[in-house]
Amino acid sequence: MAVAEVHLGTRVAARARARRRGGALVGYLYLTPALALTAVFVYWPVLASLVLSFYDWNLVSPTWEPVGWRNYTELAASRAFWLSLVNTGKAAVALVVLTVAAPLVAAVVVLRVRARWQQVYRVALFAPTMISMAIACAIWLWIFHPLQGVANTLLGALGLEGPKWLSSGDWAIWSIVLVTAWKTFGFNFVIYLAGLLAIPAETYEAARVDGASERQIFWRITVPLLAPTTLFVLLTTFILSPQNLFIPTQILTQGGPNEASNNLGYLVYQLGFEYFRVGYASAAATLIFVVFLVLTAVQFTLGERRTHYGG
Amino acid sequence: MKRWRVGIVLGTLALALGWLAATPAAAADPVTIEYWHINSPTFGGPATKELVQVFESRNPGIKVVEKFQPGVYTGLMQQLQVSLAAKRPPAVAQIGYNLTAYAAGQFPHVVLDKYRQSDPEFFKGIPDNIMALGQLGGRQHGIPFGVSVPVMYYNPELFRAAGLPAEPPQTWEELQRVGAIIREKTGKFAVYLQQPNDEWIDQALIWGNGGRPLSADGKRVGWDSPEAIEAMQMWQDMVVKSKIAANLTWEEGLQAFLSGRVAMCLTTIARQDHMRKNASGFEPKSATLPRFGKKPLATPTGGNVLMIFANDPAQEKAAWEWIKFVLSPDGATIWSKGTGYLPPRGALAEDPRYLKPFFDQSPMMKAALQTFPHARSWVSFPGSRGLEITKILIKARDEVLEGKRPAEPILKEAAAQANALLPK
Repeated sequence: MAVAEVHLGTRVAARARARRRGGALVGYLYLTPALALTAVFVYWPVLASLVLSFYDWNLVSPTWEPVGWRNYTELAASRAFWLSLVNTGKAAVALVVLTVAAPLVAAVVVLRVRARWQQVYRVALFAPTMISMAIACAIWLWIFHPLQGVANTLLGALGLEGPKWLSSGDWAIWSIVLVTAWKTFGFNFVIYLAGLLAIPAETYEAARVDGASERQIFWRITVPLLAPTTLFVLLTTFILSPQNLFIPTQILTQGGPNEASNNLGYLVYQLGFEYFRVGYASAAATLIFVVFLVLTAVQFTLGERRTHYGG
Repeated sequence: MKRWRVGIVLGTLALALGWLAATPAAAADPVTIEYWHINSPTFGGPATKELVQVFESRNPGIKVVEKFQPGVYTGLMQQLQVSLAAKRPPAVAQIGYNLTAYAAGQFPHVVLDKYRQSDPEFFKGIPDNIMALGQLGGRQHGIPFGVSVPVMYYNPELFRAAGLPAEPPQTWEELQRVGAIIREKTGKFAVYLQQPNDEWIDQALIWGNGGRPLSADGKRVGWDSPEAIEAMQMWQDMVVKSKIAANLTWEEGLQAFLSGRVAMCLTTIARQDHMRKNASGFEPKSATLPRFGKKPLATPTGGNVLMIFANDPAQEKAAWEWIKFVLSPDGATIWSKGTGYLPPRGALAEDPRYLKPFFDQSPMMKAALQTFPHARSWVSFPGSRGLEITKILIKARDEVLEGKRPAEPILKEAAAQANALLPK
């Protein structure tokens, strides 16, 4: 009797295991298309670029010449690389202020405006996101013209002498950051709006009943409850900053004058598609990958600790 | 319902068979070739379209798809290298004289010597020294298409506004003297030297001051020679000290001249059509570049060769027909009129059937004709790192014009970097 029961129990457990295994298989089957595409378009290029970074190749030559670690040592000694790293750092910090902090403030303020005007502000602030970056840059080219552009004409009317936005080594990187921020501001603004609208009105009401001031409400309720949104905005802004900087750099300054507005994303393009040193460019891309992986992990761990997920 | 399905299947089959049957006929379709160029709408774009139109009407078997590539010659080279890597190159592309050595050395292309036998007529009338612009190692890699020289455009109204006779300065000393008066009296900049993503005008200053952009043996760049340092220091002084020269990006500088904010602009004669049509409030004139004291005039030759990258015989044949047409008297006439480029067949400029009327009516072309006998080469840096060398020199120019250090240390450092990349 006991033996029979044990047998029965084992059979039931085995069937359940088999069902689970079958279920997992089906799950993986569903995942296959996505996994295959990611493997072909993401993992394979990353791996290929890692391999390429140990070779010298110009895209056209039939042979890849192995060079060991030379691409990496040359990069470590290159002024352009360090300058681009510093510039990317500067740009990332500035972008965090301009496109993470500023849109939050804008979203909070816009939600307090009367409903009819709210729509106007939402559209106005989101509009740059809809314009093609290349076209926007062509417009900025004229805004920045030092002798006849809108920017310096307005500054001139205020009695100020405007800078050479694009041809001065001190200004070029900030001009690029300004254009990038203008372009990405609206997207982050809309994400914050959604985040703000998701905070339950009762929470605010309860706080007001308890006599909390507006400032207290902002710091004690809005900011903590928006933390998941902020973490998302912060991470995407940071990770995408080398990509977002690329188009304005390419159209407005080509990294110049004298590397002053170069950044890591553009540097890789320059090494690979201006000098055709594809192995060298891959080495730069690999280093950037590692740097950003570490920074993102740190940011995520620190951010996660301070993030409260509602519901 | 079933009948419907059968109908659909049969219909699809019929369509497929029809398509298969039609495919052999497609062989009679025109050969389509891609032609890559740097001619934007403000720089020879309309003339390019006219060339295509006339060519296609005379060659119904060939279609030319002309594609503008941004970023001047360097930009075109980048796209070209990528297209070669993808094995889908254009049939014909313009290669700037400064990049011919790189392209001929690094890119798979069609060497054109074989056409000397099959088309001897074509080669007649193009002088040897011009044909040499497309040669490397004694072989013909490309056919010179646009030939240009740098000139100085000027705005006579700004000269008059400064109380000066509307005559262009002959030397750099004179330019600086006149420039100071223009700056003081009108508040406008006196001069802008073109600053695109190449170092053509820099080479003009070096040649002009008696230097050489590259040593005769090709082992050292000439940017650290006393002549080069003196010329570049002069440019820096005009920007930083006397503030008579504008330090602007290329688009900004061109626009500033056309809108009357800069009195003189040094750039290619190939822009004369654009200058004439777009200057607002004044009629631009042209003159030869200023000389350095008593030194003779010397400038680089600008422009490009046409190289064939087609990788199948039908495309190659069509590409050669296109090259023959654009360099023919009819093609060259359209091209010179629409741009200001000088025709490689120099005699056309004197021929009343072709370009003589145009040259007679275009006073701006005179400066180019006067400069032409003094034109030297636009040095192309040899070896696989040639493109980087060009960029090093452009960066050095940026730093010189920024004015934080004198020209000498900047140019010496740049030359040392560049020399290390030249083939030993």
